[in-house]
Amino acid sequence: MKKLMLFFIYMIGSAISVVPTDQAIVEDVVKAHILPRFKALAVVSEKLVYAAEDDCSAKSLTLRNALRDAFDAWISVSHLRFGPTEKENRGFALAFWPDIRGSAPRSLARLITNQDTVVFSPIEFSKISVATRGFYAMEFLIYDQKLNKLGSSDYKCQLVQALAGDIFETSTKISDDWHNNYAKLLLEPGAGSTYYSSNEALREVFKSIVGGLQFTSQARLGLPLGTFERPRPKKAESWRSNGSAHNVKLSLTSLHDLTMRLTLQYPGLKKRLGDSFDRSLILLENLKDPNFSGVSEPQSRLKIEVVQQSIDALNDTIKNELGPKLGVFVGFNALDGD
Amino acid sequence: MVINLKQLYQGRRQFLAGVLATGLAPSPTWADAGSPAFLSAAAKPDGTYVLCGISQNLEVVFQIELPSRGHAAVAHPTQPEAVAFARRPGTFALIVDCINGAPKTILTAPGGRHFNGHGVYSLGAEFLFTTENDYDAGRGCVGVWDVKSGYARIDEFDSGGIGPHDIKRLPNSDILVIANGGIDTHPDTGRVKLNIPTMQPNLSYFQDGKFIETVALKAELHKNSIRHLSVNQMGDVAFGIQIQNNNTFSSLVGLHSRGQEIDFLKAPSNEIRRLKGYIGSITFSSDTKSIAATSPRGGVIHIYDTAKRKLRNLTEIPDVCGIVAKDFGYCITAGTGKIINLSDNGAKIEALSTLRWDNHLIAI
Repeated sequence: MKKLMLFFIYMIGSAISVVPTDQAIVEDVVKAHILPRFKALAVVSEKLVYAAEDDCSAKSLTLRNALRDAFDAWISVSHLRFGPTEKENRGFALAFWPDIRGSAPRSLARLITNQDTVVFSPIEFSKISVATRGFYAMEFLIYDQKLNKLGSSDYKCQLVQALAGDIFETSTKISDDWHNNYAKLLLEPGAGSTYYSSNEALREVFKSIVGGLQFTSQARLGLPLGTFERPRPKKAESWRSNGSAHNVKLSLTSLHDLTMRLTLQYPGLKKRLGDSFDRSLILLENLKDPNFSGVSEPQSRLKIEVVQQSIDALNDTIKNELGPKLGVFVGFNALDGD
Repeated sequence: MVINLKQLYQGRRQFLAGVLATGLAPSPTWADAGSPAFLSAAAKPDGTYVLCGISQNLEVVFQIELPSRGHAAVAHPTQPEAVAFARRPGTFALIVDCINGAPKTILTAPGGRHFNGHGVYSLGAEFLFTTENDYDAGRGCVGVWDVKSGYARIDEFDSGGIGPHDIKRLPNSDILVIANGGIDTHPDTGRVKLNIPTMQPNLSYFQDGKFIETVALKAELHKNSIRHLSVNQMGDVAFGIQIQNNNTFSSLVGLHSRGQEIDFLKAPSNEIRRLKGYIGSITFSSDTKSIAATSPRGGVIHIYDTAKRKLRNLTEIPDVCGIVAKDFGYCITAGTGKIINLSDNGAKIEALSTLRWDNHLIAI
């Protein structure tokens, strides 16, 4: 009997020790997922500034690689759309996409044609439309053939440097805000604060997984897919730099990391979701289609649709199985904009 | 009883032929079940979508299959007829006979447009107005349909902003008020929002298709999307907001009377917080002394005192959304399947269905 008692005490003890609390999960997410990624974004954005100073020509490999690195760092945090990224439109100033109305090409061309002096003042530059700033604008400026032929290369050099400086400024603000302010709000919830409990903080993190997967499915894949009758390969994210599939991979990888941290308590679900992420990544890899140009051919299109469907199925499992476990009630009527 | 509408959705002409050929005509059992008092769209347990008539006793008296998820409906002011709209960005609207639940015809949004889920009849019911998105131009518009000619599309006009959502008519007039939510979307990207940094929601008023007045929120509130409306007998407009950032917000329910500034209704910050930035439906009470706003995300209904401009009481109901004012209080639906008569003193009469009720309930 005594042995049995001891056994139960042992079992209870070990159960407590292996089940992390909401607070512990949030701490892990903040310290191991969120903060290092925003720190990395600020660091590589600074390198982009140096690269643009060294060689600002659109053909510069150093510049192109530095942009890729900084852009990658953004894609890896692009699901974390709450708190510091949402203040002062910072997230949009780094990444205004999708740009369905073509605002970026129009306003970039206008700056170049008019030789707008706004590029000489970082403060003035930070006030122009978000469509003309950030990674997507810079990528457009460097890779778009029409823009490459437009205007003076001296002016475009100034513009590249202004864009890099502005990206660095915004990334640093976001990272500083996370490190000095917002991390604490997630880690120290309480009545009257932004989050009343660590469960609320956890739900915020959970929402970023669902929203991130939805964005990757609907925008990163959905936009080039368009419809069967009217595929839109030139609407793919980063198609000019052959980065479309690469971005999907980075986004999935980052969301995979976050999902694993939120499923520590549920090994079965963790395993299944891990396998689903792996499957989506393998399907993506097998496309061997860096800019999703295959959307226009029925056979390759089908394979891209399968990638999208695998992500949607994964997101459904997260919403329907992980959500309720974390106390997130996914209502029928709670969707945006209804 | 479920009506199969496959033929209907193949096209209006085929539908009319189909009705005659297959006897889709009303069955007497509809009448036996009692005429519906309310309409609401819903999802069935198998994941398909229906439009339902609900009786005064909160029983579902008919179900009509929909090709995709529905949103709101609007009743003809004099005839027992209603229009049920597809959820954004759907392209169909269904005209239904409200006595027996028989579908009469289907409207299809013209090329380059999709419905935004709401519509309203003109005073004399000559026209139906529908909020739509001219998505390639990123422009909000209002479709005009001629009722007498079997709902022919005859015109459209600019809605006065981007992303028009709810539309209502001021009493005893042909003045329309439109909630331009401000959010640009495109079917190519589903429900992804394209212009959050620059969105500018407003309330716009129109008479005979001519713009007459608009009122916008202050610049610092530009991410507060005005989406749903209720109009009282005086022509005052109550509106519900959905917030597009997760910053703190002080009110999600406002009131506007033509020619005046917008007034926001107050509530303690703890209670505002429970709304989770999202009002799903809004209505004046039948005596207009109260305004009820539902938050499905918060699972709560706020009831405000119209005169005092502040929260009077609240009721918790998970996934609550659809709401209609009744003499005794409100009739309410929830995504959980509940239909509830909520009286002013807080007493509830509930019915539970296996259907998940969609955002809006309307009285017919």
